[in-house]
Amino acid sequence: MPPRNCALCDQARAILKRPKTGQQICKDCFFYVFETEVHNTITEAKLFKLGDRVAIGASGGKDSTVLAYVMKTLNDRYQYGLELFLLSIDEGITGYRDDSLETVKRNQQQYDIPLKILSYDELYGWTMDAIVSQVGKKNNCTFCGVFRRQALDRGAAMLNVDHIVTGHNADDIAETVLMNIMRGDIARLGRCTSICTQGDDTIKRSKPFKYAYEKEIVMYAYFKKLDYFSTECIYSPDAYRGHARAFLKDLEAARPSAIIDIIHSGEAFEVKEEVKATQKLQQICKRCGYMSSNDLCKACSLLEGLERGMPRAAVTDRAFRKKMLEEDQPPEGLRTIPYFQRPSGETRVGTIS
Amino acid sequence: MSCENPTAEADAIMPRKRKYDKSRTCVKCKENAGNVVVRHAVYCRACFIPQMTYKFRRSLEPYVNAKPDGPRRTALKPTGNLLVAFSGGLGSTVLLDLVNRCYVSPDPTLLTADGGRDHPRNERVWKRVHVCYVECCDVLLGTKDRTEEVKNLVEQIQGVEFISLRIQDAFDSSWWNSIFHEDSNGDVVVDLSDEMLPFVTTGSSTQTPLSAMKAYLASLPTPTALPTTLNNLIRVLLQHTALNTNSSHLLFGTSLTSLAVSLISNVSQGGGFHVKEEMQEEWFPDARLAKNSKIGSVRLIRPLKDISVKECGVWAWWSRLRVIGREEWTWPGAKPGIGRLTKDFIRGLETDYPSTVSTIVRTCGKLSPKGSTSGQCLLCQRPAQEGVQAWKARIAIRSHDDVALAGTSVPDPPGHALAPLLCYVCHTTLTSKGTRAAPALYPSHTSPSVGISVPLWASSYLLGSALHDESSDTGFVEPVAFSGGKRMSQEELRGAISEFILD
Repeated sequence: MPPRNCALCDQARAILKRPKTGQQICKDCFFYVFETEVHNTITEAKLFKLGDRVAIGASGGKDSTVLAYVMKTLNDRYQYGLELFLLSIDEGITGYRDDSLETVKRNQQQYDIPLKILSYDELYGWTMDAIVSQVGKKNNCTFCGVFRRQALDRGAAMLNVDHIVTGHNADDIAETVLMNIMRGDIARLGRCTSICTQGDDTIKRSKPFKYAYEKEIVMYAYFKKLDYFSTECIYSPDAYRGHARAFLKDLEAARPSAIIDIIHSGEAFEVKEEVKATQKLQQICKRCGYMSSNDLCKACSLLEGLERGMPRAAVTDRAFRKKMLEEDQPPEGLRTIPYFQRPSGETRVGTIS
Repeated sequence: MSCENPTAEADAIMPRKRKYDKSRTCVKCKENAGNVVVRHAVYCRACFIPQMTYKFRRSLEPYVNAKPDGPRRTALKPTGNLLVAFSGGLGSTVLLDLVNRCYVSPDPTLLTADGGRDHPRNERVWKRVHVCYVECCDVLLGTKDRTEEVKNLVEQIQGVEFISLRIQDAFDSSWWNSIFHEDSNGDVVVDLSDEMLPFVTTGSSTQTPLSAMKAYLASLPTPTALPTTLNNLIRVLLQHTALNTNSSHLLFGTSLTSLAVSLISNVSQGGGFHVKEEMQEEWFPDARLAKNSKIGSVRLIRPLKDISVKECGVWAWWSRLRVIGREEWTWPGAKPGIGRLTKDFIRGLETDYPSTVSTIVRTCGKLSPKGSTSGQCLLCQRPAQEGVQAWKARIAIRSHDDVALAGTSVPDPPGHALAPLLCYVCHTTLTSKGTRAAPALYPSHTSPSVGISVPLWASSYLLGSALHDESSDTGFVEPVAFSGGKRMSQEELRGAISEFILD
């Protein structure tokens, strides 16, 4: 078949087929539409204000590497006036995290963005290697997910930023919609398609790649020759998420629009008002001051389980969790998480459009 | 490496799965030995039968009266007749049996006989009960016509009337005219190559209904679109039949398992706005069609929505029901679509996580549509969400004009375009393409060179409407973010996206 011209500019030769639209386009048009769609996502949702301090969650993987590059590019091109930072969490996995952090350090040099690395060891007194040695590979994702979320917020507070952006892409969101339906997590289902989330006392979190296909992010990295690290967890992955991801990939193979169609579905429904009324209200953890749906946040109860040498009980044993709740303070000698201080954040005016 | 020889290795033998979790005794009467396990709960036959009847009536009776969930049983007063959708499959066979034994020829073993023979609760609920079967064999190559078989089975039941349709009736103006007394005065032809779906009106079609139906299916861009389209056509044909027979209620034999599959499949095709309709819906027909009917709307109910396919199977076995079975919808050379993949996935997941199907249905029951409705979708007759085309234009740039328009209001669609009149699912079904071209469905069939005809309810609307006027806190569960510690080379990167690189 003779080479086709780009479906957008009709001048250059098409070199790729966009998974999102099925159009055959040239490289320059691909860069242009990819970046412009992210810009549209940012401006449509009014994510930032002029002068915002924004931390980019950077793991060294493809999503965060491309996110750092695109945020830098858009900030310069459209004069967002953002002060950008790279924020990395070192979970403490020997032989892997050190390497991926090297990529982040190179990104710091290439993009001239300041970098802050915060480790689990520094924050919780535990590395993931140590946690896995206690809990095994089966439940370690629970610990890592809960700890990482808090670590990002605490790192952002240290940088005194207003906003954290993460590299969650359209595939991640579609997968989360499906997974939350299948496991009946109605609270998360109601908010997982929101581009930006912010509680009364938390730092804003956004996903500028909400509508960007994972494959297009990989294409962007490939054509821009960005370097990143493959992102397969060396510890066992979350089995249920693994099922959902494999299913989503099958759906995408059957019809590539499935990813964006699922996101559209997630945006087209909401939790009924009468169901919302029965959901727990957000509160503050009595021990560490971080947001929580109980008196004690999940990170504090998991950490106490680790410290007591009963990590599984903190995940599965209700009686154990209840006992911890009854004890306002942990027993002497157990490590706890430092009290969370939200960044002061100066008042800024004007939004980017 | 182990050859996994069971005679040599004890570990190679699959451990026998226990049938009972805790006790063999029935959880309800706590006396008899159990006969069936339903999601960890053991029931004896004597308790299973009333339990199943109770679940069926609980899902149906609150919605029989015009005002849902009002006072019941003593006063079940539907505004019209009943239409039962029958496919020949397990669910609809069980549904028909339950309808018969509860409402047509009441079975004293299922219903309590309180109140005496003349008590109001013993009056027949629906004056007339119709059973409708839609035959699809003409468009599914290699399948046989089961109409006679179904007719014979239905006619064994006293007090129900059998109606037979064929899927191509959706394009048959004589069928349309016979039920709505509306003469067909033209055809509407749509161009599927343009995402706005421009259409033109023409004189009466020279195509046969079957030829038009085949052309419609053959022009669909993906294998996913085929079953979705057939399901919608069958449902809307049934809705119109219900209207024609003055049936205020239309029942489907969708089991809990099938409902979970259809919910996930629907969400995966962009139908989040229709989650409520997927479970239960009320159809308000076009005023022109409703004017000759005694009923204002048709309520579509799935009374087996709390009953799993396993329970249906047990009921059919114990009741000695004959299940004709329904043909698999397969097309030669076509890869499985989203519907088929979802079915396989949910069935597999149910093995490891037995509560999955009921969790899916319960979760979706807690959702409601977000945003406003722009009207009824012309094809599927379900509510269409406002702003669908604007949303699609915003999230993916399809031309440099889109960039110029970003941030401004969406321009008015061209006067004769179908896209603004469709819901997200129907528009996506007609326009979303696969990575490869779909195989030719009917090799010997020649499709019309310009566009395809649309189903009659859509063309009737377009021809009769003003449109024909010529003047006119994160909930996000963080994904696993660790990596294996290997820098991706350009070759590896290329491998990951190779199917989308053209050179």
